[in-house]
Amino acid sequence: MESKNLVKAGVLTLILVITSIASWELYLRSKGINIAYDDGDALWSDKRARVYEPADKATVFIGSSRNKFDLDIVTWQSITGENAIQLAVEGTSPLPVLDDLAKDSDFKGKLMIDVTEGLFFSLSTPRGAMLKADMDYYKKRTPAQRFSFEVNHLLESQFVFLDKNYLSLNSILENAKIPPRYGVYGSPVFPMDFNKSTFNRQSYMTDRFVTDTNLQNQVKAIWAYGASRPTTPLSIYQQDSIIATVKSDVAKIKARGGQIIFVRTPSSGPFLSKEKTGFPREKYWDIILTVTNCPGIYFEDYPAIAHFQCPEFSHLKPSDAIVFTKNLINIIQEKGWSFPHKQTIQ
Amino acid sequence: MVFNSYTFIVFFIVMLVLHNLPLAWKVKKINLLIASYIFYAAWNPPFVLLLWLATVVDFFVGRALYTQPNRHKRKLLLVISLCGNLGMLFFFKYGGFLLENFTHVVNAIGINYHPAKPNIILPAGISFYTFTTLCYTIDMYKKRSKPVKSMLDFALFVTFFPHLVAGPIVRPPQLVPQFETPRTANQKQMLQGLLLITLGLFMKVVLADSMLSTPANVVFDAKGPLSTLDAWMGVLAFSGQIFFDFAGYSTCAIGVASCLGFVLPENFLYPYAAIGFSDFWRRWHITLSAWLRDYLYIPLGGNRSGKFRTYINLMITMLLGGLWHGANWTFVVWGALHGFYLMVEKFIQDFKIRLKPKPELVQPAVVMQGFMAPRFLKKVQSSNFLLALFTFFLVNVTWVFFRSPDFTSAWRMLTSMFYHVPKGAVLLSTLTIIKVSVIVVCMVAFHWMMRNTRIVNVANKMPWWLLGLVWSAMLMLIILSQESSSTFIYFQF
Repeated sequence: MESKNLVKAGVLTLILVITSIASWELYLRSKGINIAYDDGDALWSDKRARVYEPADKATVFIGSSRNKFDLDIVTWQSITGENAIQLAVEGTSPLPVLDDLAKDSDFKGKLMIDVTEGLFFSLSTPRGAMLKADMDYYKKRTPAQRFSFEVNHLLESQFVFLDKNYLSLNSILENAKIPPRYGVYGSPVFPMDFNKSTFNRQSYMTDRFVTDTNLQNQVKAIWAYGASRPTTPLSIYQQDSIIATVKSDVAKIKARGGQIIFVRTPSSGPFLSKEKTGFPREKYWDIILTVTNCPGIYFEDYPAIAHFQCPEFSHLKPSDAIVFTKNLINIIQEKGWSFPHKQTIQ
Repeated sequence: MVFNSYTFIVFFIVMLVLHNLPLAWKVKKINLLIASYIFYAAWNPPFVLLLWLATVVDFFVGRALYTQPNRHKRKLLLVISLCGNLGMLFFFKYGGFLLENFTHVVNAIGINYHPAKPNIILPAGISFYTFTTLCYTIDMYKKRSKPVKSMLDFALFVTFFPHLVAGPIVRPPQLVPQFETPRTANQKQMLQGLLLITLGLFMKVVLADSMLSTPANVVFDAKGPLSTLDAWMGVLAFSGQIFFDFAGYSTCAIGVASCLGFVLPENFLYPYAAIGFSDFWRRWHITLSAWLRDYLYIPLGGNRSGKFRTYINLMITMLLGGLWHGANWTFVVWGALHGFYLMVEKFIQDFKIRLKPKPELVQPAVVMQGFMAPRFLKKVQSSNFLLALFTFFLVNVTWVFFRSPDFTSAWRMLTSMFYHVPKGAVLLSTLTIIKVSVIVVCMVAFHWMMRNTRIVNVANKMPWWLLGLVWSAMLMLIILSQESSSTFIYFQF
């Protein structure tokens, strides 16, 4: 090919790509879709690297999606004057991260552990492999990956279409209405408005999700499907083993001067009923507090945070997350934690 | 640093600007060398020391090998170079493997020995740059080419970032002369380079990572027997993944070099259109198979010492070729299978020669790519295609050993592929099966259509608007797939 023809092809490519991507971006914005960040291994690692901030400057949060939805990080930071480092991962147990932090002698800070019993007392969680991948990535990340992360952050903060969870090629294909294969249990496909992620790893529901009961019902159906799948209950030995690990990890962190608090975040409706039946408080929650000798906050014990109705039974909507966070800070202080840089609430 | 990362895009733009500034050629070469070290150090900085060590030792040993008149001293120098290069490779790549096997052996004979498991990190691309430096010193020993005059040129030959971590494996005469005169890409080289980079990234990011890696991982990571359909889909997905991953890297490397004004050798020529295994190895990882041929198979005697010895040499070459890919017996079996296929092919070829008709009946000479097909079949396009499919089928069987972490998994996979497993697990969704099927069918058809040509030639013949459409489609899919920074499979080799 003559060089001239290659130039023409190159120019055409440039025009087509820029036009198509710009049109796609404008279309998504016209639909009211907001910026979202890829809450993958790189973002998790970025937060994991920050756990060494002094105890009077930051609190680390571990657990599952409830921690991510229910803790409003902006509210937390503005009231306490401290950073909130969110390390919780959807559909996972906090134990691997707790273990990791316990083994890290440089971590001596404040730690809040979210207890969602079905995940906490489980040997394998739906997204446990993802959490392991995050942790491995943190340990092995290279200078090149760190630089790529910064560039990616810059781009993600500008373009709506760079939403890997819902707008990548694979995610778009997953939404195609193709009949499922008999016997295959794939990953659930959540509506896009259910879980958007900010750069500080807070999850939030969009306004549309909060008002659209059809979308809420889609998520409820996913919970119901998950609950209907057969599971093998933990044996006494396995439960004891989990509790022993928690006890040992907590002791290591406390021995270094770290502070730990357990929080049972809100759920509602049939989800809460099922959790209460499956994991009676006295056999699970109370035992954790007893063996670790740590303070704990069970949401139902505090009227200020006991009344929430979760849109899909399991997570708080953004406005409730703000109220929950404000009250949680007060309750945590009652439990003996201090926030030296805390502002007075007007 | 990997080509499919934002870091590389920024790095490459900076390099292009620097390389096109009105600077002295020596300054540009120094820029390229520093950039190559940064490219490598961006993965793990301390391992740059290994590169320096290999470069300095082989530069001086290579020169001494060429000039040293004393035969014994030359042999000693060669041994020093081989020990240095292979010693480093063995320590980092095979240290754990050798210790593990040694432990098994001594325990088997009743000695209770349980050493601590060594925690050795494998430097990226060590197998590639070790082969690059090895061929230089062997060439110097055999006086096949002249020693590189300047340390700068030699360092750049070893470290030039497009080929550094995953090939193509270059020989000194292919690259060193290119450093001797000033080079920048002309408009055509630049655009062809950008087109090849786009194609390579499309293969890696869209096809290998986005579409095929998950089904391959799901199937090969399964802990129990699978349904036949799932097992085959997993193997076919891996077949596509390994090709698109590695050929994608090579295509990017050639494209990047082209944008800087350099030419790297081709590494893949539509291997899934191969008719027979000698043809396959002329099309798959060409620079490695050529390396093994020239520096292992031929020095072993090649086909000059009788048929039996030829078979043995073929097998040794492929066994070591398998081991080159990874420190695991599964790779050795992968190599052994390829060696066996090549031996059978050679046997058929020899048998055909014995049955060769008398000279007056011989048909006009035709250039044949493979050996397995009887002559009359080779004239029939559809039959050739069936032979290519049969070769592809056998290649897929070998990939089972290549991808499986151990023999138990490999055997379980083969059982699932070739026997009906009554309660075999079904793992892949309808969409995944559609994706794998469409991509693999298109891949094989594309390889067949392209088997006697080159992508650049095809691009040259296309109308500019059609090329623009294809190019933009690839670029858009790369952007939309949003897969970045995953490493290439061959980095671990």
